[in-house]
Amino acid sequence: MPQKPVPNFDVIVIGGGVVGCAVMRRFALNGAKALLLERGEDILSGASKANSAILHTGFDAPPGSTEVACMQAGYAEYLEMHAALNLPVLETGALVVAWNDEQRAALDGIIAKAHENGVGDVQLVERDALRRAEPHLADSAIAAVSVPREFVIDPWSSPLAYLRQAVAAGAQYRFNAEVTGGEFDGKMWRLRTGQGEFNGRIVINCSGAQGDIVQGICTPPTFEIRPRKGQFLVYDKSASDLINAIILPVPTPTTKGVVLTKTIFGNLLLGPTAEEQDDRENATVDHDMLQGLIDTGTAMLPDLSDHPVTATYAGLRPATQFKDYQIKAEAGKNWIGVNGIRSTGLTAALGIAAYVEQLCAEHFTSFGPPVAPGFPTMPNLAQHLPRASQTGDGTEILCHCESVTRGDVERALTAEVPARSLGGLRRRTRVMMGRCNGFYCSARVAELTKGKLDRPLDGGDQT
Amino acid sequence: MSTRDVIIIGSGPAGLGVAAALVRAGVSDILVLERETEIGGIPRHTHHPSFGLLVFKRPMTGPAYIARLRARCKGVEFRTGVTATAVDGDRLSIATPEGPQTLRARHIVLATGARETPRHPRLVTGLRPMGIMTTGALQQFIYTGGMKPFSRPMIIGTELVSFSALWTLRHAGIKPVAMIEPSARVTAYRPATLFARLLGVPIHYRASVTDIAGRDTLTHIEIDSPAGRRKIDCDGVIFSGCFTGDNNLARGSGLALSPDTHIPLVDQNWLGADPRHSVVGNTTHPADMGDQCYQEALVAGAYIAKLLQSGPPQGEPLPIRHGNGIKMTTPNMLRPDEQARAFSLNLHVTRAWSGDISVTQGDKTLYRKRHSCLPARRITLKGIRFDTQSTAPLQVSLG
Ligand SMILES: Cc1cc2nc3c(=O)[nH]c(=O)nc-3n(C[C@H](O)[C@H](O)[C@H](O)COP(=O)(O)OP(=O)(O)OC[C@H]3O[C@@H](n4cnc5c(N)ncnc54)[C@H](O)[C@@H]3O)c2cc1C
Ligand SMILES: Cc1cc2nc3c(=O)[nH]c(=O)nc-3n(C[C@H](O)[C@H](O)[C@H](O)COP(=O)(O)OP(=O)(O)OC[C@H]3O[C@@H](n4cnc5c(N)ncnc54)[C@H](O)[C@@H]3O)c2cc1C
Repeated sequence: MPQKPVPNFDVIVIGGGVVGCAVMRRFALNGAKALLLERGEDILSGASKANSAILHTGFDAPPGSTEVACMQAGYAEYLEMHAALNLPVLETGALVVAWNDEQRAALDGIIAKAHENGVGDVQLVERDALRRAEPHLADSAIAAVSVPREFVIDPWSSPLAYLRQAVAAGAQYRFNAEVTGGEFDGKMWRLRTGQGEFNGRIVINCSGAQGDIVQGICTPPTFEIRPRKGQFLVYDKSASDLINAIILPVPTPTTKGVVLTKTIFGNLLLGPTAEEQDDRENATVDHDMLQGLIDTGTAMLPDLSDHPVTATYAGLRPATQFKDYQIKAEAGKNWIGVNGIRSTGLTAALGIAAYVEQLCAEHFTSFGPPVAPGFPTMPNLAQHLPRASQTGDGTEILCHCESVTRGDVERALTAEVPARSLGGLRRRTRVMMGRCNGFYCSARVAELTKGKLDRPLDGGDQT
Repeated sequence: MSTRDVIIIGSGPAGLGVAAALVRAGVSDILVLERETEIGGIPRHTHHPSFGLLVFKRPMTGPAYIARLRARCKGVEFRTGVTATAVDGDRLSIATPEGPQTLRARHIVLATGARETPRHPRLVTGLRPMGIMTTGALQQFIYTGGMKPFSRPMIIGTELVSFSALWTLRHAGIKPVAMIEPSARVTAYRPATLFARLLGVPIHYRASVTDIAGRDTLTHIEIDSPAGRRKIDCDGVIFSGCFTGDNNLARGSGLALSPDTHIPLVDQNWLGADPRHSVVGNTTHPADMGDQCYQEALVAGAYIAKLLQSGPPQGEPLPIRHGNGIKMTTPNMLRPDEQARAFSLNLHVTRAWSGDISVTQGDKTLYRKRHSCLPARRITLKGIRFDTQSTAPLQVSLG
């Protein structure tokens, strides 16, 4: 019997986090025949599904690092193209707030570092002005540095838009396709997955928390992944008016600390924690840690206690023993590792993609000619911009807490890169993400998605 | 824009009760808005006979109950699939499939109901596999959807609604592995435990969930109880009870709320802070029986009919505050009224209480009587006489 031919690609990207999606977009738009292999049921199965969703200026990043360069390039490209993809930006600005004299003393250093990073519009805000800007903050807030261009974005629609742009340019993707091994014959990589083998000239490892293990397919890794968990609480929409800007703490050497921010979806987010753990797979929330977060949050914003919590979640930062990103081309191996994108990857993704493409051109090859980019119109999920439920799409609202229409759900199941899992559907529509956690709508979602999800909500069983 | 006489938001027992009373009083221009595609509120998906004992003197399933209530609403216009998004004086913004609209009414009624507290706000430790839901969702899976989401679930809570979950599961031939109760006794009436025993479902007391395990599909939960920590295999978790009013519309619209419960302010005639609004049903007292919601709504509707004739009541409302151990009171505000010098007050306690309950106004005691109270059920204080001249707030206390 003839062997089934193994498909050939110019570029294979391992891992569909925000970084993998941005890399896919970059290569596909530049004319490469690209394939994404993602082990999860959907893109964003790792760190990228659970972050603070802040578009950072890089004001406090290590000066001169790859990280700050990628962040600032990513930031600029995002602002340039978000409107064409209908991706929202909430221009909140941020305040780095000092809660005691020691932190107050650190503010000058923060301003100096911001200047060094080219973020020139930061400013010291004294107590009275701070009070006027953020009247709900506790009295113990004594001063702040304002960072006007720190913004909030949609952490799920943006990577999806990147992949959809790639697909529109001819790229392919496979979910449930974990890369378990592979060989390089000097010209071509042959990668093994649960869904068969795939050939690619260049492999780009964007596998997040699996980074060192996957890197081992090519070469002994020069870094090790040390997952750092961050837990969050989401407060109901009534709480989002308690702050205007993103409230950042004065950072310590290991963490950015606990942040209060609006989400693009109109909620208020409190977190993350920073907890080292060995487990790369599981991000559990923990009752006591969440309670601790609430205490920290209400100490900063006392009125928070009047508002209900609607959700809790946790994400794993793919950190390494190094501070900076570990992005490196493996000479003679047609492999680029994009690792250790620990806590700024949402911002940096587009910048990282451009950098990876440049590394590829320098070390291996470049592709072309570029493809005229398509701009899929992403459905808007941002609270401050019109939703389908507000303009009317001919269908009733299905998820009342998050104002998701039946049409929103139906479209997410049929759009390019459709949702094949409940998580994917939630991230594409916000359905079941609200305060009732599915009390009102989950059974209807189960009915609407019958036969359309890999793992059905109804357990696949009929009464 | 034409002005309707009354617009009622929500078509559960409370909304239908207001409509029925208005019809009875001769008001004809009534619109009921319901965001679901069918009317009926909670009873719509409660298909076992747990309604109607007070109103119809016999047990009825939710849908049969709703059909009977609706029959009393002759001439009332119902619009389904329409969500009220904001109330502002006599104006109401709605979201419809065709886009936003603004309506106007002489009187607007909020009857938006109550729901259970789900997993996340309870801050439960663990992962987020599928198969975790509330009784309300469970009923919709099983009764209205004909689906069977799991085969060995765990029920958290022992309120009446927890036994409703048990009943719902039984309908689908699903036997839960256990029920979990944080306190030392069942929250529902004791005979309910017989039902669990009959079905062979153990109840673990003084127990709490300390872990939910399984990344995609639930594998087990861990509970902590006097018997120690242990894992229990299950493929579903039903968080039942811990009711909370769905007063998001009121809060989002900036209607006056009680500062400690965030329940809309409502007086002894179910009138809100703005006398053009009424708030009725379980949104104001999460959660009493459907019959109780219907009966109070009849009173509320009759009062609205009177107001439409006579104009708004006079006098500044007085707050009704409550002390520790009380979850909420309805009313939570009093409008001194020359005609009626007495009113009834309903309350829920947060913990079991046997002893006096008092209502005071300034240094006067308006009511003091001994009550035996358990959480999650209505306690009624009847015939509280008040002084129409006093402007002091009222205080309800245990003891
Ligand atoms: C708590 C927290 C807060 C954060 N806040 C922000 C913020 O506000 N702003 C910001 O810019 N950044 C933030 N970040 C950082 C950002 O989320 C990460 O930098 C980014 O998500 C990393 O993306 P990634 O694509 O490298 O990794 P991931 O998102 O983890 O993607 C890796 C993907 O590879 C897949 N995979 C793994 N192994 C294999 C295999 N063998 N075969 C196939 N597929 C595989 C995984 O399933 C996964 O989908 C935060 C992160 C956390 C955890
Ligand atoms: C799972 C569960 C089981 C229960 N079982 C029983 C039982 O067996 N027996 C019993 O007596 N009681 C039961 N109850 C208590 C129940 O709350 C009452 O029976 C009764 O339904 C309350 O009536 P209501 O009209 O106040 O609210 P609901 O019945 O909840 O009706 C409120 C209606 O308002 C609609 N609505 C809300 N907001 C809007 C908006 N913005 N725009 C338009 N429409 C809106 C909702 O969709 C809903 O239809 C149960 C409650 C729950 C949660």
